[in-house]
Amino acid sequence: MTFINKYVAWGAGVLALLVALIFALPGGKARGFDASGFGTLPILEGGRVKPLDSLARNSLLLIHSRQGFRHEGRMVGPDEWMLDVLFRPQVADQQPIFVIDDPEVISLIGAKQTKNRNYFSFADLSTHLDEIQKQAASAQPIAAQKRTRFQSAIVNLFDRVYLYYRLRNTLQLAGSPGLGWELQSLGTSDANLRHQDLTQLAHFRMLPPPVGASPEAWQSVGQALSAGQTGGPLHPGLVPLAKMNAAYVTNDSASFNQALAEMDSVVSTLKPDALGQAGRELVFNRAQPFFVGLSIYFIAFMVLCFSWIYKPELLRPTAYALLCSGAIVHTLGLAARIILQGRPPVTNLYSSAVFVGWGAVILGLIIERMYRKGFGTAVAAAAGFASLIVAQNLGTDGDTMEMMRAVLDSNFWLATHVVTITIGYSGTFLAGSIAIAYALKKHIAPKVDVETDKALVDMAYGIICFALFFSFVGTVLGGIWADQSWGRFWGWDPKENGALLIVLWNAIILHARMAGYVRERGTMVMAIFGNIITALSWFGVNMLGVGLHSYGFMDKAFVALSTFCASQFIFMLVCWAPARFWEQKPHSKA
Amino acid sequence: MIKTYALRIWKYTRSLQLTIILLALLMCLVLFCTLAQVEMGTQGAVNAYMRSFIVWRQPLLMSLPFPGGALVGLLLTINLTGRTLELQRTWAKAGMWLVHSGLVILFAGEFVAGMMQVDTNLSIEVGQTVNYVQSYKNMELAVIDVTDPTWDEVYSVPDNLLAKGGTVAIPGTPLSLNVKRYFANAQLTTLAPGAPPSLATAGVGTGVSVVEQPVVSADNEMNQASAFVEPVAGGRSYGVWLTSVALGAPQSFTHEGRTYLLSMRLLRQYLPYAFTLKQFRHDVYPGTSIPKNFSSLVQVMNPSRNESREVLIYMNQPLRYEGKTFYQASFGKNDTLSVLSVVENPGWLLPYVSCVLVSLGLLVHFAIVLRRSLKRRQDQKEG
Repeated sequence: MTFINKYVAWGAGVLALLVALIFALPGGKARGFDASGFGTLPILEGGRVKPLDSLARNSLLLIHSRQGFRHEGRMVGPDEWMLDVLFRPQVADQQPIFVIDDPEVISLIGAKQTKNRNYFSFADLSTHLDEIQKQAASAQPIAAQKRTRFQSAIVNLFDRVYLYYRLRNTLQLAGSPGLGWELQSLGTSDANLRHQDLTQLAHFRMLPPPVGASPEAWQSVGQALSAGQTGGPLHPGLVPLAKMNAAYVTNDSASFNQALAEMDSVVSTLKPDALGQAGRELVFNRAQPFFVGLSIYFIAFMVLCFSWIYKPELLRPTAYALLCSGAIVHTLGLAARIILQGRPPVTNLYSSAVFVGWGAVILGLIIERMYRKGFGTAVAAAAGFASLIVAQNLGTDGDTMEMMRAVLDSNFWLATHVVTITIGYSGTFLAGSIAIAYALKKHIAPKVDVETDKALVDMAYGIICFALFFSFVGTVLGGIWADQSWGRFWGWDPKENGALLIVLWNAIILHARMAGYVRERGTMVMAIFGNIITALSWFGVNMLGVGLHSYGFMDKAFVALSTFCASQFIFMLVCWAPARFWEQKPHSKA
Repeated sequence: MIKTYALRIWKYTRSLQLTIILLALLMCLVLFCTLAQVEMGTQGAVNAYMRSFIVWRQPLLMSLPFPGGALVGLLLTINLTGRTLELQRTWAKAGMWLVHSGLVILFAGEFVAGMMQVDTNLSIEVGQTVNYVQSYKNMELAVIDVTDPTWDEVYSVPDNLLAKGGTVAIPGTPLSLNVKRYFANAQLTTLAPGAPPSLATAGVGTGVSVVEQPVVSADNEMNQASAFVEPVAGGRSYGVWLTSVALGAPQSFTHEGRTYLLSMRLLRQYLPYAFTLKQFRHDVYPGTSIPKNFSSLVQVMNPSRNESREVLIYMNQPLRYEGKTFYQASFGKNDTLSVLSVVENPGWLLPYVSCVLVSLGLLVHFAIVLRRSLKRRQDQKEG
């Protein structure tokens, strides 16, 4: 029986990995066009070379908050959408992709709010562009944290419309007969103006540096046309691009795929590694390891919850196996990011969320190995799921592998300070999660189980020690980095203060327990409070908007953070309340 | 009686209860300080909460007085020292010994920084040679003997002396300055026709009206220090001059064949060595305005050490030289001006020492605890 249980459990884990693998496999062609091959073409945008697919996904995320959409009964993926925007703007303009939630903005563009989410096409918005621009221009000078809801929404809409507008005017001017016609009319007098417009509006540069140019001198189509206009040699990538353009417009997939192959060979002659590098990033994009990982964590958590009421000897190992699969996918995703970016794992708020979740999951796995009570699995799956959800929400602001500003451009300090402090966050959160599990169990479990309670307290205590070590070392390393780059070890900057608060709180828990002021329950209540402190120092600081550290400002997350803190206070109360306080107490013997 | 009270207090200062209270107080202070930064700026909030003994008005808790960072830090250091001394001198406590002595050093480092750290800066244009650092806020009135074309003799009167007023003798010269009036911050405008005449009787100041302004302290604002001074030498007055940071060119007068310049400027500290900026770079990532690198290529010339060498100062790579540290801080004038911030902190090494001690101590301690708990589990299994 146990033998079969074991096989079933690990079978479930392997199955989850296979599903994850399916995501990474290339999909079919879109209407016969090799859209994903087109997405593999490298471009220069935001200071780094990336596949067009990354730009397509991030732009669609910004504009539509999803990486794909349904239109005319068919799923349109990011690469196909990008093809439409670049080559057939008249078709892309009709697709309802702009999501607008703010009722005042909706009424501004003369529409009515019909459902919860409202989608508009560029064509819908095009008659109101002047008004959108006027309103946004008056709101932009106001600091982001002081804008009203309407002002934030209109600036946000303007940014998205402008992004779309630039995209559709990057390879050809929208409304013109296309790139082939531009090439034919080289040398005519009015071409100059169009080239200037193209150069100015171009959102990315698609043509690799020509032979003899500096390795960073990627060109936009406008720049290459300008060079051709003045009699210089024509960039070899322009002709295949024009062919693709013509073939896509006339729906000739065979010629398109052939022109794409020509473009590939141009790129690999000029920039030999770019195509391979872009291809690897494309696989990573398609695999979506963090999305798959959070789904597996969710299933693992659900299975574990079931195990408490049904067949624990089968379901608990299954949940553990699923958690392992989730951790493998998560780890592979993290490793892929490190390799693609050539940087340590944490470079911005998004990647810190991914890494905090990873740390919590790994710690949870170790705890489960040590105690085998299912709590490690439950807490790790919940923490991994929650942190990846946070990461998914943080990752909608554009490229998550953005370039590092000069002061942050130090792999040594990113690898030491940032990683240790983030592990400290993981530990504090994991201890808090264990405490929440303890609190819930105390009220829900049918009988008092002293041994399990004690094990949970031991786990939390051990992890608090662990978290104290990493958050202290991380904080001091941060001080040393600050001493190296700003000339002071400690400046009471908000982010430094946040890290210090975590260290102080963990130190207080350990000392209070040592002095005997708190016992089991008290330690656990304090551990839950650690969640609040960590969340505040992780995200709250970015909302203050002061100090040298606040590079990643966010304006939407405030509500989410307040809700989280409130929920933690409730858990503290639950944890603090004596078990079964709501039951009728037996009369005392007196 | 007194002795028992003293003993009790001494015992309390070493107690764990006090540790916890102090740590909690410190948490509150850190929180206040962070929140206050939105209104007061970082430096203002740090001075109000962290570098003071008592905080008279804090934002929460009904504005009651609250112990300041310096007091809490001091008590914590005493408490920590007391507790460290009380630890059992056994190998089992070796980790805790390391941790707590490391913490004492860390606190000492912050005290040294708070009391002794001097922050200045060095602005230098490409091709220029500079042999001084200047203060961010403090002013001086420089009296410069420029008679010798190859050598300037500089006499400086710091702003706190000017603020006292009265007569200031310039040592090494026959001059003394009568400070008629000093403004820590002022606004200078052209004297309107019909307005009361200026206090100045010589120089450009005769046509300028001076209005006192409140002193500013925010990081990006500067006080326009101004003063009316009357140079006197050999019983003869050379008139009352207006000197101000807001005035451009320095003004001069001549006494017994020697020419003196009067110039109000940021307080300078001259160095026994000089820097020449050979190149400044401000690189961005291609196709964006995201800064990728700032760096200053500097020629360091030190005649006393017979030294002349090139140094590249860039982000995260400062130059430590003769007790001062030079950091790439800012730039201007279309990327031809580089600003280095200069820090002199005799205790800069302490945090490094502390970091090593505490990390080592925590590792040792947790290893000891882990071993103990594993042994206990083993015993349970066997028992």
